[in-house]
Amino acid sequence: MSEPIIKLDDVHLTLTSRAGPVHILRGVSLAIPRGQSAAVVGPSGSGKTSLLMLMAGLERVTRGRITISGRDLGPLSEDELAILRGAEMGIVFQSFHLVPTMTALENVALPGELAGEANAVEIARDLLSEVGLSARIDHFPAELSGGEQQRVAIARALSRSPNILFADEPTGNLDGRTGKQIIDLLFGLRKRRDVTLVIVTHDNKLAAMTDRVIRMADGTIVADEGTGSGIHAVSS
Amino acid sequence: MPRRRAGAATVLRLGLRELRNGFDGFRIFIACLALGVMVIAAVGALADALRAGLTKQGETILGGDVVFARMHVRAPPQDQDVFRGLGQVSETATMRTMARRIDGSDQALAELKGADSFYPLAGAATLKGGGSFADALSGGGAVVDAMLLERLGLKVGDKMRIGNEDVPIAGVLDNEPDAIVDRLTYGPRVFVSLATLGKTGLVKPGTLIRWRYAIKLPSNLANDREALADLRKSVSEKLPAGGYTSADRFDPSPQISRALERLRQFLILIGLASLLVGGVGIANAVSTFIDKRMKVIATLRSIGASGGQIMGIFLVQLVAMSLVGIAIGLALGVVAPKLIDVFYGDLLPVRLNVAVSLQSLGLAALYGALVALLFALWPLGRAENVSATVLFRDSVNATGGRPRRALIVLMIGLAGALVAIAVLTSEPRSIALYVIAGLVVMLVVFGWLGGFIARLARRLPRPSRPELGLALRNIASPDGLTRSVVLSLGTGLSLLVTVALANAALVADLQDRLPEEAPDYFLLDIPPSDLDGLKARVAQDVPHASLVDAPMLRGRIVALKGKPIEDLKLPSDVQWVLNGDRGLSYDDLVPEGSTVTSGSWWRKDYEGPPLVSFEGEIAKKLGLGLGDTVTVNVLGRNITATVANLREVKWESLALNFIMVFSPNTLRAAPHNLLATVRLPQGTSPDVETKMVRDIGRSYPSVSAIRVRDAIDQFSKIFAKVMVAVQVAGSVTLTAGALVLAGALVTAQRRRILEAVILKTIGARQRQILKAHAWEYALLASIAAIVAIGLGSAIAWVAVTRVMELDYVFSMNAVFITLGVAAAMIAVFGGIGTWSILRAPAVPSLRSE
Ligand SMILES: Nc1ncnc2c1ncn2[C@@H]1O[C@H](COP(=O)(O)OP(=O)(O)OP(=O)(O)O)[C@@H](O)[C@H]1O
Ligand SMILES: [Mg+2]
Repeated sequence: MSEPIIKLDDVHLTLTSRAGPVHILRGVSLAIPRGQSAAVVGPSGSGKTSLLMLMAGLERVTRGRITISGRDLGPLSEDELAILRGAEMGIVFQSFHLVPTMTALENVALPGELAGEANAVEIARDLLSEVGLSARIDHFPAELSGGEQQRVAIARALSRSPNILFADEPTGNLDGRTGKQIIDLLFGLRKRRDVTLVIVTHDNKLAAMTDRVIRMADGTIVADEGTGSGIHAVSS
Repeated sequence: MPRRRAGAATVLRLGLRELRNGFDGFRIFIACLALGVMVIAAVGALADALRAGLTKQGETILGGDVVFARMHVRAPPQDQDVFRGLGQVSETATMRTMARRIDGSDQALAELKGADSFYPLAGAATLKGGGSFADALSGGGAVVDAMLLERLGLKVGDKMRIGNEDVPIAGVLDNEPDAIVDRLTYGPRVFVSLATLGKTGLVKPGTLIRWRYAIKLPSNLANDREALADLRKSVSEKLPAGGYTSADRFDPSPQISRALERLRQFLILIGLASLLVGGVGIANAVSTFIDKRMKVIATLRSIGASGGQIMGIFLVQLVAMSLVGIAIGLALGVVAPKLIDVFYGDLLPVRLNVAVSLQSLGLAALYGALVALLFALWPLGRAENVSATVLFRDSVNATGGRPRRALIVLMIGLAGALVAIAVLTSEPRSIALYVIAGLVVMLVVFGWLGGFIARLARRLPRPSRPELGLALRNIASPDGLTRSVVLSLGTGLSLLVTVALANAALVADLQDRLPEEAPDYFLLDIPPSDLDGLKARVAQDVPHASLVDAPMLRGRIVALKGKPIEDLKLPSDVQWVLNGDRGLSYDDLVPEGSTVTSGSWWRKDYEGPPLVSFEGEIAKKLGLGLGDTVTVNVLGRNITATVANLREVKWESLALNFIMVFSPNTLRAAPHNLLATVRLPQGTSPDVETKMVRDIGRSYPSVSAIRVRDAIDQFSKIFAKVMVAVQVAGSVTLTAGALVLAGALVTAQRRRILEAVILKTIGARQRQILKAHAWEYALLASIAAIVAIGLGSAIAWVAVTRVMELDYVFSMNAVFITLGVAAAMIAVFGGIGTWSILRAPAVPSLRSE
């Protein structure tokens, strides 16, 4: 089998807070093959968001090793990480994080422009129509509903055809119906574009749609259940 | 059902609880307020100290409790009896003269002072290296400034020639207690006894000499301000034709007091300017504070708090922070003058005794409180408009709209109070009005410009460079930095340009224009009988030199239109005309450099009642017109003349110009000397010039030659010191501008960190973020700088031509300085901001939203 696109070896994350060191992740190992869709679930505070941030290179491990597309994130500089993100990953946050001073179109075109792609604006236009927002391209984030903002965020995450799409509770801030639309959109796009999808969610329906469900508790993976692979406990 | 609201006590408690957050977000607020209050308090304290020093040391400075003085003529015995009836009297006489080497090879202008054996009545005159001052003079010797010995290459024990007398140099002067009030502008001091002065042969009727009578009074009289004033008045009534000017220990030098008062007001206005510029920083800080508390406000709103209650809670905090800022400002304001005393005490005319008056501190605190409240109210009032929807929707501009009506009225009231206090405590009041009007224009122009630039950036087509695009988007953003950066940078730079150009105008006025038109020498005290010989002498030494002469006496205006000047109430800017002696002349033709603007000149051989030609501007200020009478006291005699015409005089040329020129029959009979100017042809060699001066000195020992260039240099030196003070004061305003700029950048820091983090998550490199910021700052700073150059030039034009009444000059230096400062400020502050933005870790800001 080919090399997994995301690979974590005994990853630890310890942050120091005013109350002393907090062990957030304590030895997480994981391999996600290319093209798989995985859901990360678990109780609040179990370390799901932290895990995602680490995989996206937004936070650095305290111990252990993360490899994305065969590249070890550890020795990379901030800029190298940013370039890697631009080329390989798209990230969708629970609270969207659009650039408030830019229109929907500008937000979606931005990653391409930053990378010096000539046709960034055309691609952005296509993507926005793909997520059903053709009529809203010149609106600023503040002029869009939550669901619309999330769709812009997804379009932006996909704008450079990433191999990996990370989503942290993409429906957490949305009502049920809108959430459903976003989920359909995500999976529809994934099929068409063949990206690896890692989704953090509390939503069982959403988790059920993925190839694999990774269950976390207290900073470790307590179960890793994949379609076809059955449920098996992971030793910690 | 009426809803019950928590009362003021609850609001106060909630507000105080919020203070637990400490000074976070209030540092700039406190710094802006403290800086302005500090400057105002320090200036007040300094002025208090100088004024206190002046009165406390008034007796020493003046040389007695009360002093009477007049030009030309020594007080006759009956006048001296009047003085002696008051207390112990000391008589001195001061004049300009040439001190020469015995061999005639060199000479220098000196200020000769003859003193009696009682001098000084207050303080002590001392010699360098010890020895008795009184003995030195009574032995027939001279006590001189070290500078003169150096200049003439002489030493103690040598002789020098003063007038017709060879005087041995008995000692080097260390301290002259009454130096500040009894000195002319230049020339080293030469002290001799009155007896020695008599032997020099310099004292003749018409000589420009000032006789001074210092009196020590019994202590009960000496300490009573009113009694002293009454005494001065009664003496001038007893000696109606004496023409004496008088001063007492409580105001030893009206000129110095007035200069100090002017300086104090100027500095207070600078302080006010920095406080107002700082007000922008205060407004920014409060906006940021409210912005940060947006969710808190919305939450309070959602659980039923009224807008008034929310405002009350924040107001409690703002008042607490203002008190801290004002307290720091006052404390620094009290300390600063002590530091100035330690470092610059020697340069000041009196020893400082830093005792700060409550009045000055109160004024500074009041200014601080008014400004803090005025500028905090707008953003605070907008907090009321925050609705609970902020909780649900991430709105870009949640604090929209303007504060309610009552608040706006309150703000107008505060602004009015501020203007009223500034104007009422300033003299002349027009200066305060000019300063405030200038500041308001700046605030309005740059406030508008910020909005305009933002709108313009929104219209521009999207540029192809993504960094430039980001920059333009940020500039266009309604809650971006555009307004605050343009406002703070713009006002700071405009003030800088204004000060720089005003400075340039002053310097140009002194250095460039004067020497070209001015004569090279003034010759003083030429006896009329020597004039022809002197002219021939000069013509022989320098063939094409031009010598212009005029009769010159000094006299004092004692009455206008028959009314004694003591009973007249006149504007302070002409008071000087009446305070001291004025040069008087007579002529049968309109003098060179003057033009008659109304009335007509007298006939050549006019022999009727005395007529006078008055300078037009001053006549207007004195309320004098054609046909009015002016009474002057010359040589102890009152002469009343009728104004026959008004003249316009070109003062700058330093030609022979007098405020009053009389018809010849009025003064011809009075003993007097002549004054002359000498213009040397271009390219006259220094040797020829030196020979001419030496020849004049040899043949006409009573004539003093003042080299105009030396006088101007001397003045420039004093002026340079003043300009340093002005520039330091100006830099205070710039500091305020820098603080505000730093504060403005801080307001957006949180937003910018999140933006940078988002950009990083979508693949932006640090260099790209840096470039975007650089574009944004460069665009804003260059627009602000260009407009500031324009506006600052315009304001400087008004200040220079209308207030200072000088010619306006544009200085490229000022422009370069402004551009340089703009670039430096934005590079430093923007650089620090961007550096910390790039260093900020991604996760916390991604999580916190
Ligand atoms: N900066 C920090 N310092 C200390 N502890 C932190 C910090 N950030 C997060 N934590 C802690 O790390 C743990 C994991 O947080 P994380 O956000 O990854 O959990 P999560 O599984 O995503 O929870 P949720 O489902 O509520 O989003 C939590 O207990 C949190 O309190
Ligand atoms: Mg989470």
